[in-house]
Amino acid sequence: MTDPLPAPAQTMSAAITSYRGYVNGKLDMLTGQVLTLKASIGNNDLDAARRQWLDAQLTWQRVGAAYGSFGELGDAINGLPNGLPKGTSDPGFTGLHRIEFGLYNGQGPGQLTPVAATLLADIDKLRGQLNALTIDPTDLPIRCHEILEDSLRDNLSGNNDQGSGMALALTAADVDGTRVVLAILGAMINRLHPGYAATVSTSVDRLANALAGTRTDGQWPVYRTAALSVRQPVTGALGAALELLAFVPVLFSSDD
Amino acid sequence: MTANTPLPGADDAPAASTAEAKPHPGRRSFLIGAGSGAAATALAATGAFAANQPDAPTTTAAPTSSPEVPFHGANQAGVYRPAAQQRQACFVSFRVLARDQSELKTLLQSLTAQGAKLAAGLRASDPVPSEDLPAIAGGPPVNSGVLGDDVPPDSFTMTVGLSAGVFDNPAYKLAGKKPKGLTEMTVFPNDTPDPAWTGGDLLLQLCADSTDMIHYSLREITKATRGALALQWRINGFHSAPRPTGSPRNLFGYKDGIVNPAADDQLVWIEKGAGQPDWAVGGTFIVVRLIRMLVEFWDRVGLGEQDGMIGRHRVSGAPLGGTAETDTPDYAHDPNGDTIPLDAHIRLANPRTKATDRSRLLRRGYNYDLGVDLNGNMQAGLIFASYQRDIQKQFEATQLRLVDEPMTDYIEPFGGGYFIGLPGVAKAGGFLGEGLFA
Repeated sequence: MTDPLPAPAQTMSAAITSYRGYVNGKLDMLTGQVLTLKASIGNNDLDAARRQWLDAQLTWQRVGAAYGSFGELGDAINGLPNGLPKGTSDPGFTGLHRIEFGLYNGQGPGQLTPVAATLLADIDKLRGQLNALTIDPTDLPIRCHEILEDSLRDNLSGNNDQGSGMALALTAADVDGTRVVLAILGAMINRLHPGYAATVSTSVDRLANALAGTRTDGQWPVYRTAALSVRQPVTGALGAALELLAFVPVLFSSDD
Repeated sequence: MTANTPLPGADDAPAASTAEAKPHPGRRSFLIGAGSGAAATALAATGAFAANQPDAPTTTAAPTSSPEVPFHGANQAGVYRPAAQQRQACFVSFRVLARDQSELKTLLQSLTAQGAKLAAGLRASDPVPSEDLPAIAGGPPVNSGVLGDDVPPDSFTMTVGLSAGVFDNPAYKLAGKKPKGLTEMTVFPNDTPDPAWTGGDLLLQLCADSTDMIHYSLREITKATRGALALQWRINGFHSAPRPTGSPRNLFGYKDGIVNPAADDQLVWIEKGAGQPDWAVGGTFIVVRLIRMLVEFWDRVGLGEQDGMIGRHRVSGAPLGGTAETDTPDYAHDPNGDTIPLDAHIRLANPRTKATDRSRLLRRGYNYDLGVDLNGNMQAGLIFASYQRDIQKQFEATQLRLVDEPMTDYIEPFGGGYFIGLPGVAKAGGFLGEGLFA
């Protein structure tokens, strides 16, 4: 599942180019996954659709679009019902989590086919815009910790769960996304502070191990009903990683 | 940034690096140490100047802060030190996530450093120890700022205990150091244990005179131990002011904690030759019991019946038939319970006989007020905390006498745990639980 990590970049502009290429590849993959998902929904094969929704959602997590970094399109693809006047039945609730909601709350092709079609269109729009999208030089260093801050804030709080209970799977995909950004920036991080890339990688590895430890027979437990003793190693390792990752953007923001 | 500034965990050590984990003298003592220097003189002069300003603008003055309670000592603070129990507390149970003995040791060193630092307080003008300096200018601030720039000592104490689970965990190789009698908390006949509020590996008892200090200290400690400790349950408590005098009242309206053994009674600290491992000498067993009090129900009971269940007069706190809360009940001349019923709480808890004398224990409880129960009642009660050298002979012996006392209808013990309170850190350079690794 985990792809080989990108090569370290030597300059921020090379890093942005590398990251853009990575995201392009992920969006291509996502397009294929959502096409498959849309077909399963259309054929009312909802068991398959639930698995395919997760595949697509995990691909999106691996993009590492922390803190709404793709603006309104990002919200259209991965938004939540929070803050919408009609909540889960609000027409403004679209995208991957909307499909998750439907698949885990008794909806079928009638409600979900148009949602899947809109999602495909939105992904396509993002692909079209990606190369023209300005990525601020501070953006990638910030993602090093904000992707996983999102995991803590949205996944592991239960806030973005629309019924699947797959918060741990999503978090593991966030780890993949974080590793990609860290790999691209690794050489620069080490230039700014020798050895720090390895320090943060160790903490991220520990988190990945803690996440892997929650799986039984390759299955992720449903997060909301998982025992505290199952959750603690994950939230503990995540907290420890975040304390270290918080210094990565600071390294890049120093003038001297 | 400077390339040689240490980042947190930049070496191979876990988040709490060795330098960070070493207890350091509080900022205040650092300043006193430099007492002949210009800085101290200037500070003293500034203070005098401010105090003598007749026309100083009137703003809401900060409350007078409570003094520093020394962190270092043969025994931990928060038990007999300070003598007057602080007004606020938080009891927190953690799961220990340390993967091996060395990480556990680092954790205890880190806790020691935090406990010493928080007890001493700090002023913004004090020099910041190098290990607390931000790794890089522009990084997250060194503390949360919840207390402003100056952190008062506020009578802060941190008391640390370990549960049986730590000794039973083979990763720590401490099976041979397990104190005798340290078990999981016994479930007594009137208990309703809730797993969400029970157990845990490590207890922190944080006490201070202000609620914001309690919050601040826990936030500092969890940040410094991230990844090594996972919050399991926590509950804040308050120790009421005397109403109107004497011992504070609990949420049943009765004066509580009137009778406590003195340190000289030798009922609390584990001593040499008591059959406990050497490392535990100077420690104490801590029992925490979270006891819901059904206050609405209690308030629907007549005063005579309430008094009879407790064994004291509600107004004065005196034992029934007495006039002052400090009066000693005379059970010898009341063998049939005509004055103080035989099943009154105070009589069962402490029958004041030779046989039960050594089962007395030190109590240092706090009231809590949490929220709303499923049935719409206020959820409130008592964080019972007792300290003793022998859980079975003291706490459990007392608790067994109380089984089915009339008051059980109005209370519901639902959580807590048994812990070995570590011996104190006698002097700077040592750390809590050091003897475990000897």
